[in-house]
Amino acid sequence: MTRYLFLEEKLPLRLGPNISQLLSFSGPAVLTAIFIPILFFNNNSIDISISNAYLWGGVGAIAAAYKTKNVYWTIACGGILFIGVGIYF
Amino acid sequence: MIRGAADMLPLSLAVLPFGVLFGSLAIQKGFTWLEGQLFSVIIFSGAVQLVTVELVAENTPFVALLFMALVVSSRHFLYGLRLRDRLSTQSVRWRIGLGFLMTDELFAFSNHRRSYASKYRLYYALGAGGSFYVAWNIWTAMGIFAVVALPDLSNLGLDFAVAAVFIALVIPEVKTVPTLVCVLASATSSLLFLFYGFELGLIASAGIGMLCGYGMQRVRS
Repeated sequence: MTRYLFLEEKLPLRLGPNISQLLSFSGPAVLTAIFIPILFFNNNSIDISISNAYLWGGVGAIAAAYKTKNVYWTIACGGILFIGVGIYF
Repeated sequence: MIRGAADMLPLSLAVLPFGVLFGSLAIQKGFTWLEGQLFSVIIFSGAVQLVTVELVAENTPFVALLFMALVVSSRHFLYGLRLRDRLSTQSVRWRIGLGFLMTDELFAFSNHRRSYASKYRLYYALGAGGSFYVAWNIWTAMGIFAVVALPDLSNLGLDFAVAAVFIALVIPEVKTVPTLVCVLASATSSLLFLFYGFELGLIASAGIGMLCGYGMQRVRS
């Protein structure tokens, strides 16, 4: 929705360079704020035990993302660890 | 127009996991198939859709939702500003049409010096943007169908899939120290807020992350 609002040339709004800079961090900030709880928060409490499959999956996904920067590898490595640990415990 | 669609094809396919994930997640969170599909039809933004679906399922207050949507969409605002001059001479129909179809992917196509400069190029954009829109909705429908048809299989770790996808989006983008600081700040604060049970923790952590990243960048320049 915000997209075409600002394509309209009559809008006299100009974003200062500072605000654009601040907003450029919105992506990583918001997405991180969402996935971190998924990894750490299970059944209404913080879970940092070795049996937390989400945590292991997360580690795998982060490692894969860091090395390959590829969506599929990230999901695959994360998924394998997640399922593996889940079965093990 | 077909050229546009053909060139966009690799990207349209690349978002398949995201579309399917969104569709299945929406159903799992309790939306009906129509509501799930409408998300993709009307909003047409993977990031906004995924975030909104999670938040609504947790009964986040409407104002917070609106604010989140605005923050997540803010980079589109920047795209709008960039393209404003090029499209300002076109009719309202083109501006709104292409405005709606604007995504990160279409924007990446728009950087050529002469993009949108002629009728041919406008139709190219329409083909590229439109085909992407159709593809996105098809993937969403597939995700919805998969969950509705195979409910047991899909409950396993769908929320993990969301985490994995977001990790895939965030980590490769951590290329500078400020971005790293932003991510770490967001992560730490979200854990703290979880511990203290602060309901608006998600938005607050995102805000803190943004401020830290921005602050770091200012301090270094």
